[in-house]
Amino acid sequence: MDPGDDWLVESLRLYQDFYAFDLSGATRVLEWIDDKVFVAGYESLKKNEILHLKLPLRLSVKENKGLFPERDFKVRHGGFSDRSIFDLKHVPHTRLLVTSGLPGCYLQVWQVAEDSDVIKAVSTIAVHEKEESLWPRVAVFSTLAPGVLHGARLRSLQVVDLESRKTTYTSDVSDSEELSSLQVLDADTFAFCCASGRLGLVDTRQKWAPLENRSPGPGSGGERWCAEVGSWGQGPGPSIASLGSDGRLCLLDPRDLCHPVSSVQCPVSVPSPDPELLRVTWAPGLKNCLAISGFDGTVQVYDATSWDGTRSQDGTRSQVEPLFTHRGHIFLDGNGMDPAPLVTTHTWHPCRPRTLLSATNDASLHVWDWVDLCAPR
Amino acid sequence: MPEIRVTPLGAGQDVGRSCILVSIAGKNVMLDCGMHMGFNDDRRFPDFSYITQNGRLTDFLDCVIISHFHLDHCGALPYFSEMVGYDGPIYMTHPTQAICPILLEDYRKIAVDKKGEANFFTSQMIKDCMKKVVAVHLHQTVQVDDELEIKAYYAGHVLGAAMFQIKVGSESVVYTGDYNMTPDRHLGAAWIDKCRPNLLITESTYATTIRDSKRCRERDFLKKVHETVERGGKVLIPVFALGRAQELCILLETFWERMNLKVPIYFSTGLTEKANHYYKLFIPWTNQKIRKTFVQRNMFEFKHIKAFDRAFADNPGPMVVFATPGMLHAGQSLQIFRKWAGNEKNMGTVGHKILSGQRKLEMEGRQVLEVKMQVEYMSFSAHADAKGIMQLVGQAEPESVLLVHGEAKKMEFLKQKIEQELRVNCYMPANGETVTLPTSPSIPVGISLGLLKREMAQGLLPEAKKPRLLHGTLIMKDSNFRLVSSEQALKELGLAEHQLRFTCRVHLHDTRKEQETALRVYSHLKSVLKDHCVQHLPDGSVTVESVLLQAAAPSEDPGTKVLLVSWTYQDEELGSFLTSLLKKGLPQAPS
Repeated sequence: MDPGDDWLVESLRLYQDFYAFDLSGATRVLEWIDDKVFVAGYESLKKNEILHLKLPLRLSVKENKGLFPERDFKVRHGGFSDRSIFDLKHVPHTRLLVTSGLPGCYLQVWQVAEDSDVIKAVSTIAVHEKEESLWPRVAVFSTLAPGVLHGARLRSLQVVDLESRKTTYTSDVSDSEELSSLQVLDADTFAFCCASGRLGLVDTRQKWAPLENRSPGPGSGGERWCAEVGSWGQGPGPSIASLGSDGRLCLLDPRDLCHPVSSVQCPVSVPSPDPELLRVTWAPGLKNCLAISGFDGTVQVYDATSWDGTRSQDGTRSQVEPLFTHRGHIFLDGNGMDPAPLVTTHTWHPCRPRTLLSATNDASLHVWDWVDLCAPR
Repeated sequence: MPEIRVTPLGAGQDVGRSCILVSIAGKNVMLDCGMHMGFNDDRRFPDFSYITQNGRLTDFLDCVIISHFHLDHCGALPYFSEMVGYDGPIYMTHPTQAICPILLEDYRKIAVDKKGEANFFTSQMIKDCMKKVVAVHLHQTVQVDDELEIKAYYAGHVLGAAMFQIKVGSESVVYTGDYNMTPDRHLGAAWIDKCRPNLLITESTYATTIRDSKRCRERDFLKKVHETVERGGKVLIPVFALGRAQELCILLETFWERMNLKVPIYFSTGLTEKANHYYKLFIPWTNQKIRKTFVQRNMFEFKHIKAFDRAFADNPGPMVVFATPGMLHAGQSLQIFRKWAGNEKNMGTVGHKILSGQRKLEMEGRQVLEVKMQVEYMSFSAHADAKGIMQLVGQAEPESVLLVHGEAKKMEFLKQKIEQELRVNCYMPANGETVTLPTSPSIPVGISLGLLKREMAQGLLPEAKKPRLLHGTLIMKDSNFRLVSSEQALKELGLAEHQLRFTCRVHLHDTRKEQETALRVYSHLKSVLKDHCVQHLPDGSVTVESVLLQAAAPSEDPGTKVLLVSWTYQDEELGSFLTSLLKKGLPQAPS
């Protein structure tokens, strides 16, 4: 009985549902449109594939689940990219995609064909500052005239109208801090997170005057940070999560970015082998639930409900335990081989509360629905 | 123009009714002869009228090849051979030959006896059809006739499934049938060598999917079975008797052992037993792992799985039963199903009506059965997905790839992927559409040693890239080509040699005697033709290699001499050259 079989027996108890796929190339992208997800390769020396995948029917239906035997992804559309792709965003209400990769001198715009299964490159968007080794982060304003927000550094941030290609907003600052994530919150607001941990909320109707935590991150020690804003505009409470490469997880209230509501230490192996892969996400279907990945071959799910004001007297952070840890990538794919796989990205299913997708650097993609062992049966 | 023509005959884009016609170097081969399980009328058979237009099938087709025992690949065979009419050879592997008739008879029974269908083949027809079968071994080259040969390769998928290479001279086609590239619990993965066929024909039904791993499918199955028996329920698994039943038996056996479960597992007698019997016979067709453990104990005799007795269905408590036939039409599985359907605790994997969501079934005698048990539908069939297809194409290295059973519009991306990554042409014909591939077969010609040696003796060494003109005779005999010297050819053919000699007269203005004219000619040619062998013979004639020049004095005009230039047919070039040269005249003689 190999360890893979052993873990499989364990998994009967741990997961409601579990799927494992082998992609043709590893992805750092998992972007949703309804029940379909985009993945894209990031190799530098060969052609990469962008795939538009339809999830197995069993994951989409509510009734008569048992009657659908298909457990496979269906490739609905596919395309080829000469560049590596590190970020992919869908432009809502269109058949367009915007991708970013290295070399970071432009963004690529794609069209998903309607009458065939091809994704074609249609145009490019020039970036403000050409960087050789930094790729611009991308977010899309889904207004009537969609605008693409992009930038590799604070000073190169701009919004470009997709149709006219006119620049409708620039940060217009000289700050050269490197960006780690961008997120559009509503028609006029976006959030940024710098690699240093500096967070900001920007109103595009005004000249650059973000609400931010000025200090270079909750700590300074060369850690790299990423962040995600959860339910925006839905009442008080911490809705911003910030994750550092030293395993620190901070929850912040947008009204006071300088003082995190809670700051905990996640039990992860540090330092992260590739801090650029760090990712923290809020569960769309579970209150106060977060997932983190990028430290190793696992994805950890946390329940932050009891974290309010979590900080010990002496200022040290308290350790928290994950609600669930997905180890499938280590047992099914790694199988004890060196080097162990590293999770490149993860995402929550938009409708199924406990279903996540996670991908690793060895091209595996898992879809898993974990069992909340603490919840009443 | 030599070409290979391929026409998929099965109509419709859905899976079923695999039947492909291939024409290669004048030979016609039919690949598979499947039945479409979804239709009840003639639509279930391939459209043979395409072939019969050309006259009698037996005369037109050189052979029929069946890839494996699934009905969508062999279901129409008895209809084709006995009702439409074909008496030529039908090739398949040994396990396929053994199992096919069982499945065909089983299907016939259900169609005719249970559903009352007419125009169906009879048991005798199945027997007569199987008499035409020639069984082949893996990797064995089989000569269908002097020119056509076939070879079977391991395909995985189900017991006895094979991929076939069809070869005529230097042209070849590989047909994959159904295959999979990942080994499972009882079968290995498909494998082919770098045979570099002109064309690889592969099914593309699952080409645009990315398959869930085998482990996860098994997990799903185990979870459902386990959950049911944990709550004391019964599990009914109707399977298509063969192939998959073995797989699931092995899976349950392995996990029952690991989880230390005592819940009884049964398989119904009849077909499954026969299948186990055949699996034992064909153990070389199973994968490495099974063959290894088979030495220790017979893997197909299970520790935890026992034969089923009807009476067990009434036993209280949990149990798992594998029953046949597959779709709950009749027989044991239907009986058990009736008994257990009313209980919510029970679960079964089921057939058509239930799959479409029906919860009330009408049984014989107008009885209505309400299905309260949980129903799960699981698919274990192992087909190659996009990744698998790329792998196989990479192994065989064909010039072109042809995908059948797919929709062209939905596979543009895959076509591009195959063409770009593997640098081969990719075709996707619709059913009934013919694809024509031009080929440039190489024709090997043997050259005799004597001829080669003679050419070498001519002096100039051959240059590798420069073409060299060679004179010889091409003999075509028994599909063999040989280039030999004319003398040898004459000898072999028993013919006398005829020499052709040309003589040309060149008039020269010269008042001296002919011997001196000859000397003048000699000197002139010697100085001009430095590369050739120019000789002045004692009898006064001049030779330039094998061309002979003789001077004569015509009686009428003492101021004119006639030079006779004579050469053999082979030296035409030199002869003509010398004649034109001499016609220009000789240089002034020194006084």
